[in-house]
Amino acid sequence: MTRLTDLPPGQAKRLAELECPDFETRPWVTGAALSRCRVAIVSSAGLVVRSDNPFRGRDPDYRRIPITTKKNELLCSHISINFDRTGFQEDWNVVFPLDRLNELAAETVIGSVAATHYSFMGATDPVQMEPHARELAGRLKADAVDAVVLTPV
Amino acid sequence: MSALGHYLEEEGIATVAIALIRAQAENTKPPRALWVPFELGRPLGPPNDAAFQRRVLLAALNMLVGDGGPVRIIDFPEDDPRSQPDPAWQPPFMPGALVDGAVASLASRLEAEILLFHGAHQRWMAQYERSTVGLSGLAIVEAARYVADWLRGKAPASPRDGFSPPLILRFAVDDLKAYCLEAAGAGTAKPSSRQLGDWLWNETATGAALYALRDLLLTQEDDRLRLIVANFIVPAARARTG
Repeated sequence: MTRLTDLPPGQAKRLAELECPDFETRPWVTGAALSRCRVAIVSSAGLVVRSDNPFRGRDPDYRRIPITTKKNELLCSHISINFDRTGFQEDWNVVFPLDRLNELAAETVIGSVAATHYSFMGATDPVQMEPHARELAGRLKADAVDAVVLTPV
Repeated sequence: MSALGHYLEEEGIATVAIALIRAQAENTKPPRALWVPFELGRPLGPPNDAAFQRRVLLAALNMLVGDGGPVRIIDFPEDDPRSQPDPAWQPPFMPGALVDGAVASLASRLEAEILLFHGAHQRWMAQYERSTVGLSGLAIVEAARYVADWLRGKAPASPRDGFSPPLILRFAVDDLKAYCLEAAGAGTAKPSSRQLGDWLWNETATGAALYALRDLLLTQEDDRLRLIVANFIVPAARARTG
């Protein structure tokens, strides 16, 4: 198992003290009632559909994961090897909880599941990711997405 | 994750992050975060435990309703039951000649071991209908040959257009590790990630070969190659010094 305490002290400190831009605003969008929410997953796990190009390093852009993706088609190309991958190998929901979202939608706990989900490479400089994240917001709105679950590794 | 949450909220989309490192969430201040006490790599917790994963996901989704922010962090109260070792787990059978041999034969033993795991990996595929092998785009025996050739000192050309040799090496190593760990996970036992990692890095020819490859290539003059070898073959928690 790999918890923060299992890593060499210097690396654990870097992760815990990860720098994030010092934003001037603290945006807060009040969510709709869950039963009306259309939800998308945005992962930072470097996920990629098998037929797509893997992340090569700290790429700032994102990959699309259509809802029709099969569980044997999703790979993890995250640049870091310092987290457990055996959970994701056994069950993609450990990182990409699409089956769980679909179940919640079928039970009308949430309104619906987005047609497309997305993944970034989490080790990338957030400043470089910004234009891609804002462009992604447009795609999410075009799909009528109200809420996003952000999943790390 | 926190920056992504910030950008998306500024664009009018509500977000909730699952956070594996509480100190990082406190430092980066996402709009909403559910901290989970699980190991890195498992934000939803145990594999193939739909009820547990559902509780995690609902705890996160429920943070979308109501106020309390900006910057709201809640702790998930349960730990991952799969983080405990399973004493019933047994690794795939491996002949002693594969595991115990001269360093000079590691490349050949790596290739032989990958062939040996074919049956166990087929059982994994039948059981889980899924494999995460494939980043290199090479068949697994080709990936094993590519890595073995590096260990033999050949510095082979990239077999894939648009991918440099060091990049293909990194992906081929990722594929070999995934193949071995999936093969070892086939069956009814539920090994912890530490059990699987201890086995891969301490008891297999593949693990020994990857240690040797790291040591060998760290002496090369190619800066990009040394960077990849230093950081992307052996996990930091498994690196041997001295």
